Amino acid sequence: MDFGLLNDAFAELIGSGHSHYIFMGVLVGLTFGVIPGLGGTTALALLIPVTYTMDPVAAMYLAGGSMGATSFGGSMTAILLNTPGTPPNAATTFDGYPLTRQGKAGLAIGASATASALGGLIGLISLLLVIPLARSIIYLFGPPEFFLLTILCLLAIAVATLGKLLRGLIAAGFGLMAAFVGMDSVSGELRYAGDLDYLWDGIPLVPVLTGMFAISQMLHLALKGGSIVSDANRKTKLSGVLDGMKSVFRHWTHLLRGSAIGTVIGAIPGLGGVVASFFAYSSAAQTSRDPESFGKGNIIGVIAPEAANNAKDGASLLPAVAFGIPGSAESALLLSILVLHGIEPGPSILVESQREIYGLILAITLSAVGASIVGLACSRWLMLITYVKVEVLVPVVITVTLTAVYVLEGKFGDVIVCSIMGVIGYLMIRFDYPRLSFIIALVLGKTMEQAFHQSMIISDGDLVSYIAGRPTAVVLIFCIVLTLMLPAIRSYRGVRKKTI
Amino acid sequence: MKTIACTLLALTSLLTGAAHAEWPEDKAIKLVIPFGPGGFDAYARTLAPALEKILGAVVVPENVPGAGGRIGANTVYRARPDGYTIGLWSMPGMTMPAIVGERVRYDLNKLSWIAQLSFDKYALAVKADSPIRTFEDLCDLGRPATFSGQGGFTETASIATVITMAELGCPYKIVTGYQSSGQATLAVMRGDVDARVNPLGSLLPYIKSGDIRLLLTYEHETSVAGVPTIEELGHGEYINFGLRRVVAGPPGLPDHIRKRLSTAFIEAMQSPELKEWSGKTNNPFSPLDSEQTALAMQEVMRFYEQYGDLLRTEFKGN
Repeated sequence: MDFGLLNDAFAELIGSGHSHYIFMGVLVGLTFGVIPGLGGTTALALLIPVTYTMDPVAAMYLAGGSMGATSFGGSMTAILLNTPGTPPNAATTFDGYPLTRQGKAGLAIGASATASALGGLIGLISLLLVIPLARSIIYLFGPPEFFLLTILCLLAIAVATLGKLLRGLIAAGFGLMAAFVGMDSVSGELRYAGDLDYLWDGIPLVPVLTGMFAISQMLHLALKGGSIVSDANRKTKLSGVLDGMKSVFRHWTHLLRGSAIGTVIGAIPGLGGVVASFFAYSSAAQTSRDPESFGKGNIIGVIAPEAANNAKDGASLLPAVAFGIPGSAESALLLSILVLHGIEPGPSILVESQREIYGLILAITLSAVGASIVGLACSRWLMLITYVKVEVLVPVVITVTLTAVYVLEGKFGDVIVCSIMGVIGYLMIRFDYPRLSFIIALVLGKTMEQAFHQSMIISDGDLVSYIAGRPTAVVLIFCIVLTLMLPAIRSYRGVRKKTI
Repeated sequence: MKTIACTLLALTSLLTGAAHAEWPEDKAIKLVIPFGPGGFDAYARTLAPALEKILGAVVVPENVPGAGGRIGANTVYRARPDGYTIGLWSMPGMTMPAIVGERVRYDLNKLSWIAQLSFDKYALAVKADSPIRTFEDLCDLGRPATFSGQGGFTETASIATVITMAELGCPYKIVTGYQSSGQATLAVMRGDVDARVNPLGSLLPYIKSGDIRLLLTYEHETSVAGVPTIEELGHGEYINFGLRRVVAGPPGLPDHIRKRLSTAFIEAMQSPELKEWSGKTNNPFSPLDSEQTALAMQEVMRFYEQYGDLLRTEFKGN
């Protein structure tokens, strides 16, 4: 374990006089996190030219600072407006927003801040623990394992949509269909793209998610009128932050489990934050003794995804640290900052660029904590947003969101997709179809199809014997079977309890 | 020689300065990168500040990723030829759509070539502890040898794989769909596939760390001791397999702008800071000026068109 190196990194941070870059990063990250549509990758992309004249370690402080802060920024809007600021915050809306409507926004924000900060710390410790094993872990996951992992994650949809399984599956089915638009990355075949270059790379996630959650929520509010928190619930307004912080320690098992899920899923390229936080949420709901309370303002529904959200940041660096090969969009940008500073990412990056890498890891962790503190300090004022009249709130949020979606890549197609998805998302709210099932299927569809296709080519069509020879794959199949049987086991035990 | 070049440079800048006082000072020059973070991005962003100094203008690198580089390519091709929009082109990757009969909105023959930045020669790599010791071994596996490839067929590495293996009569299969060149290299180390054709420069760190081993390089003279070249295997016609990063502007770019940009790029690549960066990061420069680039690109297009039938069969399923 390299805690000694972390110590050195800490000493350097204090001695370097560059620590303010982490704070600047936190402010940038929080801002980008709060605005729906803008997220960590946009923040990093815009920071690249700024870092040009900086010392590489300072550049890592700035980048890491913004990376660690976005997810907490995003959870604020998720809790207060039912609008995730960044894609991974989508799962936080399920219980965070009902709490806000009950006048308990303080509780939710307190819990989210604490879970984010602790999740970040746990993510850091897990990253340091697994760095020596990073290579062997990455070697364990080839195409068949990726395929099985995506199946496992899709199963989580069925579990998370308690009570509306069929609707969840229908939404997921449409999500998969949307995922198959664009170029098949294995065969090179173009599907459902019409004559539009825009659709080549498929339907992009961020505009879809932003439309489905932010725009649709604004449509919903506009048609309902009033303000988010009803007058009756305003009395309890700003209390509860401390209770929220305490609740995380009371539910520490969920904090640990959420962080563990975030770490594992974060380390696997192609799955990413949305899947990590959703998986953490669904596993909390699934194993709860009181699954009915989820979606109605259960504080665990905030703790689990937010812990996963910050724990995944450290872990997502694993392929980059072990091989110098990025496993996520964020780490690709981080490595490109290093290249600009004359550092070549490669298999020995951890030895040759130790200062930069440990500086980065430290910055991500400190910023998760820093963002929570800044967030808590501002929470009193932020909560006021829920009292704003809908007539004022809706046009502002819609304008900011659509602008953000355009800024993202400068493609007008994104704005169109976002608007269309806003209407579809509204209809899904109206007719009670789970929107996140659609999103998860959209995220996983490409990886699933591609990994399956690759496995078929490698095994010459004999997938069964290929998988049988791979222990990791066999373990994953076992997990899949277990997940499928869990509801049956549970109802069997329930029945037995009743008869006894 | 150098003084002549300098005088010429001074003369051209004087002449162009007199005739077109506005370019390039009045507006930012957009340097389009048709991909996300990666090699192209690194070259553009490293060159931009040096170009700014030389041209006395603002140069803004802009990522316009999507559709395997087509969206960025279209952006440059459709721009007004006023010298304010130029872009990077991936060769021979961007010749492929036209060769395999895909509809594209750009015609490479009409582009205004400005400069070549780099020419990464390829090498064929296997896992370090693989039982495959030579290229002959790879051909005699008793089954098709498997290669990893990045998504889509615009990847230059897959094109080189197809031509080498098919022309040398070796059975092969390409497992495409890996997200990046790095992920495709990782696929070899993890044992998903037998081999990978990749730019030599980006393989060097993995050779040094003992993760992979080279079977051959696509070079005239090998730069890695003990590794044979494709020429030594009797196929000198393939020594030019590699990835070229080229700068070009929209059709009809006025000559004086094209030349001034060309000299700026060449001068930037020769600056000591950029040379140092290039050496430290294994991102070599292979500068060619505007005329040389135009000739080289004609040669590249001619070379790959020979294999049109083969590539069409492989990539479009005949």
